Amino acid sequence: MNASSEAVAGVEAIGARFDLESVFRTQYDRVARIIARVVHDRARAEELAVEVFLKLWRDRKAQDGNTEGWLYRAAVRAGLDELRRQTRRARYERLLGLVRIVPTPEEIHAANEEHERVRRVLSVMARRQSELLLLRSHGLTYDEVAATLDLNPASVGTLLIRAQQAFRKEYIKRYGKQ
Amino acid sequence: MGNNNAAQVGRWVDERLATLCPAGDWQPDPVTGLARLRERTGGDRAHGRSWTWAAAAATAVAFGFLAFPAPRAAAQRFCTACLMAAQNLATRHTAGIVLKPAKERKPAPDFTLDDASGRPVQLSGFKGKVILLNFWATWCGGCKVEIPWLIEFQEQYGQRGFVVLGVSLDADGWKLVRPFITEKKINYRVMIGTDDIAARYGADQALPVSVLIDQSGRIAATHVGLPEKSAYRAEIEKLLDGKTRTAGAD
Repeated sequence: MNASSEAVAGVEAIGARFDLESVFRTQYDRVARIIARVVHDRARAEELAVEVFLKLWRDRKAQDGNTEGWLYRAAVRAGLDELRRQTRRARYERLLGLVRIVPTPEEIHAANEEHERVRRVLSVMARRQSELLLLRSHGLTYDEVAATLDLNPASVGTLLIRAQQAFRKEYIKRYGKQ
Repeated sequence: MGNNNAAQVGRWVDERLATLCPAGDWQPDPVTGLARLRERTGGDRAHGRSWTWAAAAATAVAFGFLAFPAPRAAAQRFCTACLMAAQNLATRHTAGIVLKPAKERKPAPDFTLDDASGRPVQLSGFKGKVILLNFWATWCGGCKVEIPWLIEFQEQYGQRGFVVLGVSLDADGWKLVRPFITEKKINYRVMIGTDDIAARYGADQALPVSVLIDQSGRIAATHVGLPEKSAYRAEIEKLLDGKTRTAGAD
């Protein structure tokens, strides 16, 4: 158990009033970084991180159970939801012609950047598979991923391989073999 | 072979996901984040408190209604009045408040029914008078509202050739209607109607239905639902003023 896990466990052991600020101090950095991996805008990532803690504060069940796992799952979902929103918005704007049709050189460069491609692929994949890939790539063990996503630990490996294959397939479909 | 392939795919995917790592110099700002969180949770707490107060007030009011009969009765009266007003509004559009021109009036279907004392009442026997034929029932809220109006009209215009005839459509018949007549001090003749008669006047679909019949036995107006009392009065007065004037004016 690392330091942050101990802090959360300590808060839960008190059992009295839920100490949101203690959890915030120990987990904010990690939650914000998980979201920032998916959301390009850092300021927006921090806003979403605060929203995640606010959700935790309102959800009694989340406070009683595996708070740490709940936070990571909520962070990944918040990031993916924002990513999907951005993708959707861009598509609608293109369709409605609200933005210029010809992209600027900066936009072309940004779109060709690897992280932008990865984000796009994640935004169109099945949500559970994107969550799995992101949590695993953030350094969570199989057991932690299983606890966070409510999965059977024995099936995490298989699900992860499937998610990786789905990611590769979608990436190649969009950008070709590189 | 398969494992090698999966491992290769895994590495390939990991390489790409690694590009998502935020720049090394970026550091989330917990101070600003905590300030935002405090602001939001404070707002939510105030919001929660206001809901608690609202819930407490609602409980107190509900307890008052349950514990004390007086406010309960008042609330019941208020609800009934609201219901009547709503019914009035709803039926205002369907109820014609203007008398039909004399040429367009159709003869009122004749019938004979026994009144509360067992004496037969034939509709055509009232020719020469303005008749307000009122279909009603003891369970009908709108009917109970207009019965006092009908009593008043009977009193006020009875001497001028006006008559109210009530046709009750209560399934239990006189057993219910007789005590009701006594209780409400109804001063006009009441009969127990049949489905056939009700259907001929359109009273099989809704209640109350009031039909104004002119001196020549023709239907001058039909009100489905509860009309405005002033409209009733105006129509009766118009009809009583005379056939020629009504026909000409309308």
